[in-house]
Amino acid sequence: VAAAVAALMIVAATMAADARRHRHSQPAPQPVAPAGPAAAIAAVPPPEPAPPPRAEAGKAGAVAITFDVQNVQAVLGKDVRSSTDEDMGRLVDVVVDRAGQPRAAVIDFGGFLGVGSRKIAVDWTALNFARGAAKGIITVEFTRDQVKAAPEFKEGSPVVVLGALGGQQAQQPPPQSPPQSQDK
Amino acid sequence: VTLSVAPQRWRAGGPDDVASGRGSTRALVPVSAGELPHPSPASLRGLDWFVFFVANVQTGFGPFVSVYLTSMAWTQVDIGIVLSLGGLVSLFGQMPGGAIVDAVHSERFAAAVAVALVGLSALGFALWPFYVAVLGASVLHAAASCVLGPAMAAISLGLVGHGGLSDRLGRNARFAAIGNGLAAAAMGAVGYWISNRAVFVVTAVLLVPALIALAFVRPGEVDPERAHGGQAERPPERPLAKLRPSDRLWPLLIFSASFMLFQLANSALLPLMGSVLTMRSGRWASVLIAAAIVVPQLFVALISPWVGRRAQSWGRRPLLLLGFAVLPIRGVLFAVIHDPNVLVVVQLLDGISAAVFGVLVPLVIADVTRGTGHFNLALGIAGTAIGVGASVSTTLAGWVTDHFGSSTAFLVLAAIAATGLACIALLMPETRPADAPAPPERGGAAVAKT
Repeated sequence: VAAAVAALMIVAATMAADARRHRHSQPAPQPVAPAGPAAAIAAVPPPEPAPPPRAEAGKAGAVAITFDVQNVQAVLGKDVRSSTDEDMGRLVDVVVDRAGQPRAAVIDFGGFLGVGSRKIAVDWTALNFARGAAKGIITVEFTRDQVKAAPEFKEGSPVVVLGALGGQQAQQPPPQSPPQSQDK
Repeated sequence: VTLSVAPQRWRAGGPDDVASGRGSTRALVPVSAGELPHPSPASLRGLDWFVFFVANVQTGFGPFVSVYLTSMAWTQVDIGIVLSLGGLVSLFGQMPGGAIVDAVHSERFAAAVAVALVGLSALGFALWPFYVAVLGASVLHAAASCVLGPAMAAISLGLVGHGGLSDRLGRNARFAAIGNGLAAAAMGAVGYWISNRAVFVVTAVLLVPALIALAFVRPGEVDPERAHGGQAERPPERPLAKLRPSDRLWPLLIFSASFMLFQLANSALLPLMGSVLTMRSGRWASVLIAAAIVVPQLFVALISPWVGRRAQSWGRRPLLLLGFAVLPIRGVLFAVIHDPNVLVVVQLLDGISAAVFGVLVPLVIADVTRGTGHFNLALGIAGTAIGVGASVSTTLAGWVTDHFGSSTAFLVLAAIAATGLACIALLMPETRPADAPAPPERGGAAVAKT
């Protein structure tokens, strides 16, 4: 009997974990507890291009959602290039607000053989995931000369985000504690 | 020709040998027994290329590991763990690594195993970019490097002996610098045009020519006794006993402390300057940083044989002073100069320090451990001190940059370098053996050219 109870508990825990994991992917994300930097990288799709995912009802309330590879991609470690095809570095982290919405991408920028590279944060809306998706490339609306002077991204200190010109950030709902941002 | 080192050795070994009660007869055995080393040209050339290919192999490690793992979708936290663990192993492995090389009877074999393990770890990075495998490869690389460094120095000393060591080290530094410079340029190109993963494949493949070059070093010509800095002996009853007498330990400590300050100032200069370049020169930053890495290496290749010859004719101190004096100047210039192109030119000064560093660290250690059999252990001690300086350097510079800006950070590093210079100027004795007068200019050059 004890074994049966234990097995049930494991099943329940697994389902709960699944439910937590998939909550991110649902069309209307609910506020979740702030996640650690590594966890924040989970494949949160950008809010704008939202093709209706195919949801299949699970048996006990958990929902499995399937996205086509054309519609979503994992972003960690992807090459970032400027609109003029300059090498901008790699996406190494994603900054999210308390609602779990991505606010900025951290890019490891510049350097040679790893010497002299700097981590900078650029506004999430300045990234374009569609244009270079076939080549596994993310494009950003800045040139190297525009981002070169950006302050270094450091965990634990205020995040200075390079915003796109034209104040696109206004389209984001104001979260409880917006990250400090600054236009170029 | 008998090298008259016996009195010195007697003085060094005397008290301890009396205490141990059995070493006194051993101390009377002449160190070099009248035979001067006669390394064959094949061996010397083999060592040249071994040093070259080892420098090739080692270039892919270092900051590039972080770039590679990032491209493999690793999180920064995991990359940090891998780098820190590797750093710790390479710090605490220096002394055991040196002791191992002192204990083995074939430095060649030790070097072959170490370089094979380094190649294997590069292969591990390339083939299995998973957490445990990379962690293992990183530890393996760090541990193998701890043996590889002293083993190359030991082969050099074993081949040519103390008399020819300064020339030999100058030559080693030349080939290492060419290897580093070419490999950095080639691997940058491979990483850019092919993939970051391919860099580690190339690194692993370079293991083959390294081993072939090592095979040309004839085993019979590497005298293990000479390679350990003195008589071949059974494991000493008291480790370090022969290093203890103050006339040897004092220069070793001063030297290690000075070079700790040197590396504390030096290690962060290039990365910090690189990130300043990235900040000031958006489009051309990567090219400028590449130039800042490669060009000083070519400069080192140019001048290190000269440094080796002068270390014998002028003595060690003038060159140490030169190498240390250049460092604070470079720090101050980095702080006041803002033109990215001029910064790269200033970085050329690093070539002077690097040549002095590459030649004189093993040379002075060989001086102070002469006749002790602990050359490589002492190299490990100095290596640990230097490693501590290097690992604190980046953290310190990063902290100062965050709070006070990069110019202040450059000035702080310059001040540390000036302290190191003062240490050398005020406390470091001349270590060139009195019994090894400057060889005639031609003779020295001839040894280097064979």
